[in-house]
Amino acid sequence: MDGPPVRRRPHYRLRRNLGEAAALALGVVILIWTLTPIYNMVMVAFESHGAVFTTDIWPKQPSFASFWIVVTQGYWYLDYFWHQFGNSLYIGVATVFLTLFIGSLASFAIGRMRLRFGWLLSNAALLTYVIPASFLAIPFYRIMHFYDLSNNLWSVIAAEVTFATPYAIFIFQQYAVSIPIELDEAARIDGASPMQVYFRIYLPLMAPALVAVGTYALLLAWNEYLYQFLLLSSKQSMTVPVALAQFLNSDEAPWNYMMATAIIYALPPVAIYYAFRRRMTAGLTMGGVKG
Amino acid sequence: MNRLSRRSVLRASLGLAAAGALARPFIANAEAKTASVWWTQGFVPEEDASFRNMVAEYEKASGNKIDYSLIPFGPLMQKIVSAVTTGDVPDVMSHDAGSQNVIPQNAYHDKLVDLTDVVETQKSQYMPTAYEGAQYYNSVTKKRGFYMAPYKLNATPFHIWSSLVEKAGYKLADAPQKWDAFWDFFKPMQKKLRDQGMRGVYSLGLQLTTVGPNDGNVLFHHFLMANGGSGIITKDGQPHLDDPQVKEAVIKTLTYLTTAYKDGYIPPGALSWNDADDNNAFHAKQFVIDLDGTISTEVALIHDKAQYDDIVTLGMPLDNAGKPMPEQILVEGAFVPKGAKNVEVAKDFLKYVIRPEVTDAYLKAGLGRWLPTMPSLVKKDPFWLDPKDPHVKAYTEEGLVNPTVAAFSVYNPGYAEANSQQIWGVAHADVIQHGMTPQAAAESALGKIKTILAKYPVVQS
Amino acid sequence: MDGAHVLKTTEAFVPRTVSLPRRRLRAWRGGLQGSEFTWAVAFTVPYIALFLAFVAYPVAYGLWLGHKPSLYAELFADPIYQRTVVNTVLYVGIGVNLKMFGALLLSGFFMRRGWWVKGLLLIYVLPWAVPALPSFISIHWMLNGQWGLLNNLMWDVFGIDGPGWIETSRWLALGSVIVSHIWKWMPFWTVILLAGRMAVPQELYEAAEMDGATGFRRFVHVTFPLLANLYLICTLLSTIFTLGDFNSVYFVSGGGPALSTHVLATLGIRDAFDIARPDLGVAAVMSSLPLMIPLVILLMRKLRTTEVRL
Repeated sequence: MDGPPVRRRPHYRLRRNLGEAAALALGVVILIWTLTPIYNMVMVAFESHGAVFTTDIWPKQPSFASFWIVVTQGYWYLDYFWHQFGNSLYIGVATVFLTLFIGSLASFAIGRMRLRFGWLLSNAALLTYVIPASFLAIPFYRIMHFYDLSNNLWSVIAAEVTFATPYAIFIFQQYAVSIPIELDEAARIDGASPMQVYFRIYLPLMAPALVAVGTYALLLAWNEYLYQFLLLSSKQSMTVPVALAQFLNSDEAPWNYMMATAIIYALPPVAIYYAFRRRMTAGLTMGGVKG
Repeated sequence: MNRLSRRSVLRASLGLAAAGALARPFIANAEAKTASVWWTQGFVPEEDASFRNMVAEYEKASGNKIDYSLIPFGPLMQKIVSAVTTGDVPDVMSHDAGSQNVIPQNAYHDKLVDLTDVVETQKSQYMPTAYEGAQYYNSVTKKRGFYMAPYKLNATPFHIWSSLVEKAGYKLADAPQKWDAFWDFFKPMQKKLRDQGMRGVYSLGLQLTTVGPNDGNVLFHHFLMANGGSGIITKDGQPHLDDPQVKEAVIKTLTYLTTAYKDGYIPPGALSWNDADDNNAFHAKQFVIDLDGTISTEVALIHDKAQYDDIVTLGMPLDNAGKPMPEQILVEGAFVPKGAKNVEVAKDFLKYVIRPEVTDAYLKAGLGRWLPTMPSLVKKDPFWLDPKDPHVKAYTEEGLVNPTVAAFSVYNPGYAEANSQQIWGVAHADVIQHGMTPQAAAESALGKIKTILAKYPVVQS
Repeated sequence: MDGAHVLKTTEAFVPRTVSLPRRRLRAWRGGLQGSEFTWAVAFTVPYIALFLAFVAYPVAYGLWLGHKPSLYAELFADPIYQRTVVNTVLYVGIGVNLKMFGALLLSGFFMRRGWWVKGLLLIYVLPWAVPALPSFISIHWMLNGQWGLLNNLMWDVFGIDGPGWIETSRWLALGSVIVSHIWKWMPFWTVILLAGRMAVPQELYEAAEMDGATGFRRFVHVTFPLLANLYLICTLLSTIFTLGDFNSVYFVSGGGPALSTHVLATLGIRDAFDIARPDLGVAAVMSSLPLMIPLVILLMRKLRTTEVRL
């Protein structure tokens, strides 16, 4: 190498190796920390029926039986499983689309078009979070009756969209800052209407943020229990979390079926996260660092 | 000035009108001869199948349609509360713990439809305790009325693993009959079983829980009555919380239960057991004996003959004074809230449900977990006293044949709210976790109950 | 990150030392007029409708349900409520700060190079992706004193009879709930802080290294000042979310043992449904407002200043 000798800190190699070793140790700790509850889920799912209360760390006779029962709806709590799974999916997808649509429209109007009372709207949006979700549960039950949406999937979708949209607007605002306003201006000079600017310029450039928020909204709906439980009462309209909670009331301790159901239920969000993770991290933090 | 032209407004309003027109036939048809029913989901699948059969038979016989939802025990309570609070109620509701937590308070506030005409159709059939258990005090009419159509009742037997008793080297027939001594008999079994390698086993599965709705309260009431405290609420609905005999009974009960916990005879998780946790712990052989309502513990194992036969079901022994104890049963049924849209169909359905042959078939198909309210049935139908099934037989004798009394909350609606606040469970926690003496905890609990009862004065006219 | 983007972010930092001409043309100069105004309004109408129908109305109804002062008197006199308030403060205070601090540290860890670090990150995020209900129930069983996985492991490996984590002691149970919450949510915030770190341009790190600042000093003088704003906003947001967090406490400890680990969110539900006193339940949750409102106001102001600087 040319130039003045690079000044290295003393014991450079030793420090580096120690550093690597420490990092590896930390990695192992993180692995154990993260995986233990998930391991428990998997382990219970593989137990044979009736052996759930054993003191084994790994089932003596692991079996896929519980998964088979879930998939074939062979247990009385599961006789509508696929229908309920479909309900969860329906709610999740509808939540994603509505959140993205309403959130991006509002954020566009406030952030790009600089609507005069826009700041009022984004602050009001944040106020949604002042009142915790568990507080709103009972009033929601009443108003869904008023809107004639009792026991209807749309009541849950409305609740989820209500809770996801403020965060969506927040993220969109932050992310949109990194998109130069000159692009909008150029389009306007070319005679584009606001609608066209929204569809042709804003949305495509916002893609990472859309993916990030969409994933967030899907996971929010997928994680939700309280509202789904309160607003949906029949087996046909229930979603999987509500069906899962039924198991907790059972006398027969069918925990292996319950965990097998849970694992199947967990697959879509995990798959979606892994499919979109790069876009997600890009979309979540643009602009958050500045200031 | 703005782009919202008349044309777009016209289009929008046309759309709305069309939607309304399309929706109207659906709404109109829905109200013709249908009743919506919320029913408790069973603890075993046979109960649900049996309910579905009953509904199908009714629909065939009457031509009406029943739109039912089978909802699990815990969630159903929460839904009922939401429904009654917001006024969005179905036509019929039936909860397995309704008589303890829902019906008394709502009858008091005149929120339930009077079901006298329904109950009277079977008046002669009902057991006296059940007939009484259907009546609740209404503060508006200032008298008791029929606000529940009862079709089942439950009693609280003992459930004992005879194999564990034997393994510990004891014989069940040797157990003394007086209440406290009966429980004490099981205490030493714990050590003997642990010495043989059963690491996490306990003797007594007493539900000292603060989680509802019933187990903790039912357990406490049995002990209370065994200690002579049954006068806490008398049949006229008046409370006697200051009665020294009642106070002493409360203190004795708290002392016995909390001492057993502190001495380590009860699984520590019992403080937070929900309605199914104690049964699950029993099935996991975590303890030898418990006192739990219905024979759901046995019925859940009905497909496993060895285990099913292993469990012993026992009725009441003697109380601590050596006298026979009447069993305090819980009478359950369905009720119709005010604001229901199809009261006529609801009542018609309930009249069908309480017919002797219908309840008999329904409850039998539920494997006998709940008992009928009509003594004639057990005489007519050999299922209930069949000596080949010792569980059902012992259970039926306890609940229908031997002397019974109705629950306290039947007479005093405020006591129902005290039940749902789990005041006795909190008293246990006060002693165990916060170091209060049983006397102080008893004072505190009775004081709380007094405050609650003051909100529900029962004035007989 | 492509070159143009790096340039943009550098521009944002550089104003600390050099002032760039501010060229922010307003695409819609001088305010909106005519049809544009209608469009803008039309764009916000869906959200306004959503807000009015599903936020304003329920909040108003809830406030009406919980407006009687006697309810609050009843609440404050109840020792269970008092314990719940303490629990909530501890849960939020410890939970949020440990979680965010852990996220900060781990985001640094995950900046390391190496395929195994990337793979570890994938696994690390699983708790967030897996639905809440089954994971918390799994933790609940794992912590069971008699047959839970944790105690089984402790017995098999160390020969120790573990305690009943959520059954016997209020503090053990509260600790278990806090740990469960951190387990579930720390990955989410780690990823956000990680992306924040990655947005810091390499040139700054290299400049710092040339000045002799590495490791800890580099963190203190370069990384943290740039992340501080993001960290603060995330902490505020996380506090708000955690105050309303129902799932962790409900499914892991159920408020037990004996109602000693309830937080305001779960106590509200218990009062509303288990005791059949919805008005009391609403009052319990409303009593967290004095804590919530200042937080949200703080967050709103923070977001506002962030915007204006650009």
